[in-house]
Amino acid sequence: MKRLVLARREQPLRGGQPLSFLIGLVLALLVGIFLLIASGHNPFEIYERLFNSSVGDANAWAKTLNRAVPLGLAGLAVAVAGSMGLWNIGAEGQILAGAMMAAWIAQIGEGLASPLLISLMLLASICGGALLASGPAIARAQIGVNEIITTLMLNEVALRLLQWLIHGPWKDPESRGFPLAPLLSEEARLPKLFGRAHWGVVIAFLVIALFGFVVSRTAWGYELKVAGSSGATARYAGISLKRKIMTVMILSGGIAGLAGGIELSGTSDRIVEGISGGYGFAGIIVAALALMKPSGVAAVAVIFGAVQVGGLSIQTLGVSSSVSTILQALILFGAIGAGVFNRYTLKRVKRDVRGESL
Amino acid sequence: MIDIWKRFPGVIANAGATLNVERGTIHAVLGENGAGKSTLMNILSGVYRPDEGEVLVNGEQCWFNSPADALTSGIGMVHQEFRLVPSFTVAENIVLGASEKIIKRSAIEREVGEIAHQFGLAIDPTRPVWQLSMGERQRVEILKTLWRKAQILILDEPTAVLTPAEADELGKVLGRMAEDGRTVIFISHKLHEVTAFCDEATVLRGGKTVASSLKVKDVNEGDLAGLMVGSSPIISERPPSQTPGEEMLAIRGLGTLDDRFLPAVKNLNLSVKSGEIVGIAGVSGNGQREMAQAIAGLRPITSGKIVIADKDLTRAPPSERFTAGLGYVPEDRLGVGLAPRLTVTENAILRNYRNLRKRMLLVAEQASEYCKNIIEQFGVRTGSIDDPIAGLSGGNLQRLLVGRELSGDPKVVVAAQPTRGLDVQGVKAIQDLLIAERAEGVAVLLISEDLDELLTLSDRLLVMHEGEIVSEFDPATAQRHEIGAAMAGKKSIA
Repeated sequence: MKRLVLARREQPLRGGQPLSFLIGLVLALLVGIFLLIASGHNPFEIYERLFNSSVGDANAWAKTLNRAVPLGLAGLAVAVAGSMGLWNIGAEGQILAGAMMAAWIAQIGEGLASPLLISLMLLASICGGALLASGPAIARAQIGVNEIITTLMLNEVALRLLQWLIHGPWKDPESRGFPLAPLLSEEARLPKLFGRAHWGVVIAFLVIALFGFVVSRTAWGYELKVAGSSGATARYAGISLKRKIMTVMILSGGIAGLAGGIELSGTSDRIVEGISGGYGFAGIIVAALALMKPSGVAAVAVIFGAVQVGGLSIQTLGVSSSVSTILQALILFGAIGAGVFNRYTLKRVKRDVRGESL
Repeated sequence: MIDIWKRFPGVIANAGATLNVERGTIHAVLGENGAGKSTLMNILSGVYRPDEGEVLVNGEQCWFNSPADALTSGIGMVHQEFRLVPSFTVAENIVLGASEKIIKRSAIEREVGEIAHQFGLAIDPTRPVWQLSMGERQRVEILKTLWRKAQILILDEPTAVLTPAEADELGKVLGRMAEDGRTVIFISHKLHEVTAFCDEATVLRGGKTVASSLKVKDVNEGDLAGLMVGSSPIISERPPSQTPGEEMLAIRGLGTLDDRFLPAVKNLNLSVKSGEIVGIAGVSGNGQREMAQAIAGLRPITSGKIVIADKDLTRAPPSERFTAGLGYVPEDRLGVGLAPRLTVTENAILRNYRNLRKRMLLVAEQASEYCKNIIEQFGVRTGSIDDPIAGLSGGNLQRLLVGRELSGDPKVVVAAQPTRGLDVQGVKAIQDLLIAERAEGVAVLLISEDLDELLTLSDRLLVMHEGEIVSEFDPATAQRHEIGAAMAGKKSIA
């Protein structure tokens, strides 16, 4: 008797990632048709809106790109740590830390020229994220404390700090009791690129491209890959693991912090509780979809952003938020699921050779 | 177990192995790393199924589909890596996976306590496992199989994680189990333990049984060592004699610890001259691995000095030692010597990438040039140099690794088990490379478990036992049994 098993390919399929992404997308949309019919909607109407609202015109693209910025940077933060086998689960908190630092600079830098002020704010946001990540970085490098736990817990610390600020010292007197910080001054806001898309899109793209280049082309990136592949090999090659862990974790935090700074200065214009918007956690999915490669993060982030924007928009057609969330999950899951076939292939084997055939 | 064959992709682990164990005895299964001991035991305990051959328990043919099947027939295995849940108590770990649906804690704790008492396995069933020492954890694993009424216990290198005192204690426990009519299969390559604890011994080599059910009291440790290392077909010719030059590698009073922080190498002195191959023989686990790592700078040392080409490198990091002329072929090819997920090029430049950069950039052309040189010079067969090394065969991996270490024009090469697990062609290629290096005046320190290889290649042969060099032989005149005796720890003057 024959049965199907998943067998690992010796080499991942070349160029399979974009292709499988597309196939997964189409399959997910096909499944989604049933979901939409079952919940009483016209699937074609919904899909039309889904696409038009996310990539249909310049306005839609602006929304998608603005969303892709924090997603991409958070994804990059996770991917940079991930290419060394480290897990930064704290991008959410680092985004908050970055946003808070940027907001603080915006307050004390009142009256500075706009380009200078924005540069200082973004720089401060990088420091904020890096600062929050430095604790887990030191603990991991020096005494081997699991960074997943520490970065995850610091999310909560950053969130509480932000809540205290917007309920207390930073509360906007004109907010009528709502926990909001005051709006940023005009000078502290990122200028627009086109429509509502702001210059953060360009900054994020450059940062992602920079890291893609650094990881693939420099000696530093090479050391990172060696350390990520095997710690023992890295020691043998004379690479200091402790220093690598420290730099990578702090850099990762800094990148996530920058996402917070850009989100504040480009999109939200004030500190609110939901400013991190779950981007930090979504960044983990972005990085996983990009196979932990910084170079793949940008494309994944744009698609992810489009799905989110479209998913929000179809809710105005009466699609419930839960159905919309299922649809978004389907699309992303389809893409990840199909990605498996880059590394694995289906094989027919005889029964009774379990284990060894894999 | 009769005529067992087991093949894995690229390796034949068992090639006609036979094992015959009497009830109520302690039976040693001996063999060097890669001799097929663990595979054979995994077949007996139901983890793997044999490709050919049959397993008979109490005269009945058995076909195990899982470890649970084997346990039903009374066969339990204690693996090298313990499979315990640290936060559970001893008793909880023991019942874990048991088929009973309703379990009364106090009853289990009492039962476990009784079994423990019966065999002298002092342990408190209510303690959580994370509080226990490695020796105590092993007792939990043994209790687990006893509680499941195993009549045949397989212990895979049980003393590897134990201190000598704990190992002696284990020996007594095994003795009590045999008296109780249970059968113990004891896998080890520590000869003194085998002669101290076991009744019979079966020796495996290259996946085959070379000696079956020897009565331990009739043989000495030297004989067993000789059987384990055996004689593989001699491949390379003995190199022409040449007069060695100046001292290139000098080790004075070296001391280092093993992974359990016990002394592995004690006050070791060693000297290798230019154009000389010095062979290190010894039963594995006698400090050879730790010594090689200490010389390469991968293991901190507790005492002594390491001098390479008149340069004191005792405190130097591994990369500095490479630049100073030390090539090191580690025992673990994948995972230490080579990074498994990286490409051929990325692995080829591992030791030398610092010289292939321009400011911060790694020059891709220079890197592939460097890689192509190694591939051509050392005959590495690979598809593309940008493919991951995972696709290369064992022999080609080792050629790449050895080639890379030789590419830096070394003055000293330390090669640990450079030909282990390679096919005939691969063995010859690597041996010829070492001979060529010797002809060019490189000082080679060769650590091997293959006595024939050592006798063929070495100019001098040193035997290591319990972290010390116990004797030196001239390979041209040495007698195999004398070397065997030295490996077993008998001091001799050659």
